[in-house]
Amino acid sequence: MTSLAQRTQHAWPDGARCVIGLTLDFDGTSLERGRDQLPFGARSHGRYSAKCGIPRFVDMFTRQEVPWTFYVSGYDAEESPDLVRSIARSGIEIGSHGYLHEGVDPGDAEPELLERTHKLLSDITGTAPKGWRSPSGHKTARTLHKLRELGYVYDSSDKDFDLPYLLRYGGQEHDNYVCLPNNTSSLDDFPFYRVSYTPPSEVLTHWMQEFDAIYAEGGYFNLTVHPRVGYGSGSPARVAIVEKLIEYIKRHDGVRFVGMLELAQWCLKRPADWRRDWSGQ
Amino acid sequence: MNAQIRPIAVTVNLQGKTVELQQLGEDALFGRASYGKYAYAVGCERLFGLLDRHGIKATVFVPGAEAEANPDYVAALARRGHEIAAHGWAMEAMDAPGIDERALIERTHATLTRIIGASPHGFRAPHGKLTEQTLAHLATLGYRYDSSFQDDDRPYRLDADGGSGMIEVPQSEILIDATLYAQRQTHDRIMKTWHEEIEAMHRERCLITLTLHPRSDYGSARASRIAALDRLLTWLRGLPGVAFMRCDEIAAAADEFRSEARRG
Repeated sequence: MTSLAQRTQHAWPDGARCVIGLTLDFDGTSLERGRDQLPFGARSHGRYSAKCGIPRFVDMFTRQEVPWTFYVSGYDAEESPDLVRSIARSGIEIGSHGYLHEGVDPGDAEPELLERTHKLLSDITGTAPKGWRSPSGHKTARTLHKLRELGYVYDSSDKDFDLPYLLRYGGQEHDNYVCLPNNTSSLDDFPFYRVSYTPPSEVLTHWMQEFDAIYAEGGYFNLTVHPRVGYGSGSPARVAIVEKLIEYIKRHDGVRFVGMLELAQWCLKRPADWRRDWSGQ
Repeated sequence: MNAQIRPIAVTVNLQGKTVELQQLGEDALFGRASYGKYAYAVGCERLFGLLDRHGIKATVFVPGAEAEANPDYVAALARRGHEIAAHGWAMEAMDAPGIDERALIERTHATLTRIIGASPHGFRAPHGKLTEQTLAHLATLGYRYDSSFQDDDRPYRLDADGGSGMIEVPQSEILIDATLYAQRQTHDRIMKTWHEEIEAMHRERCLITLTLHPRSDYGSARASRIAALDRLLTWLRGLPGVAFMRCDEIAAAADEFRSEARRG
């Protein structure tokens, strides 16, 4: 059998050539609150998400008629329950994203924080989340243990592969949980708007080139954006380039926009297709 | 040696999860700590596949711990014609307090020698950090060159720096992919920078040392970055007089390169 990394054709939903997952991490004031910072003044970027960034993204995604996935921390959901509920009711998947956007290992407190967020999101949206995105990329075997206990079937946090793959931890592979990788150095807004301070038009070109390379190999394109100002994409020029990217992608044959849970469930129905070769790793 | 040759060294620092394991246990290598695992899962074959398609033999600097974890892969790289050289044991900085650098260098040397069936000739210090003794330890083990310094346009002799009989095959900071990808520059910005820098280096007959990493954070191995590098290599191959050489070959011809450049 060809290993997953060497395989050149993948069975995607609807016989698509390439799948696209658009993901939005709420990143409201949970970030500052989690660091014991008052989200006022120059630290008020997180307040922009609920007020301006999310409505602008929702309008754009609606105009483009594409599915997307919304990762929400427990605290942000508590602060904006109506906003989260209305997005969930429109059919958009709500995944969880920490309680106070815990970017460093919360240690023994982690299981309770995951459970609290899980319950909050379940109560607000009426549906238990089945997907998780690690805040700031923090994730360990302990995180996975609790997520699985809570009934999660995927997370979108790892950066070690270009395709979905079955989870392995503690030396064991699991065919009821799939990792849907994202990449926070190239297909994320933070690196360009916070690290290199690149103009939006050049970020658009970069993401189009990312798409070209992934489309050429019939792969999986996962974009992570944030509705904040500052490191995020909530402002007019930046939402506009995400919209231009979507329009560019749509001009290609065989592209399929997917919700992340939809993609996870697709993969889990065919676990043999998403088994990675772990030798030497 | 043809006096018109302008050498280009493509070097790869094979940094996988040893980078993350410096700080974290295996159980924590998920999320943002999983970038290192990309190397052996995907990145190496993307990068070496590209070099093979261009017929370029690279010098691959391998931490001993990476080689021990993936001996078959490293041995196969040597069989493909790439030079395997030493890159510390597990990304320890040689000048870090409490480090027995001699023991780490010897351990790496023994491990690489066993895996590739021959002694490595070259060394590159993890993080570019050396002590005043590092070169002497390498010279004692018979190393012929180091490639950690960034202080010259051409190879030079290291006798005065403690590396008796050794040659320096220098790097240039701006031609290390990590310099720019770690700053999250776009493909186009990086390629524009490299074109401008390399064009002028080529004009002045400098050694062109390109340093790449098979990673998806500070390295060149994502599909889109491989595509950008593919275009760069195609352009490089078309430059007049260039020859892609391994660092061991450049070290062996170091004196000629210096005298030719003076005449040039």
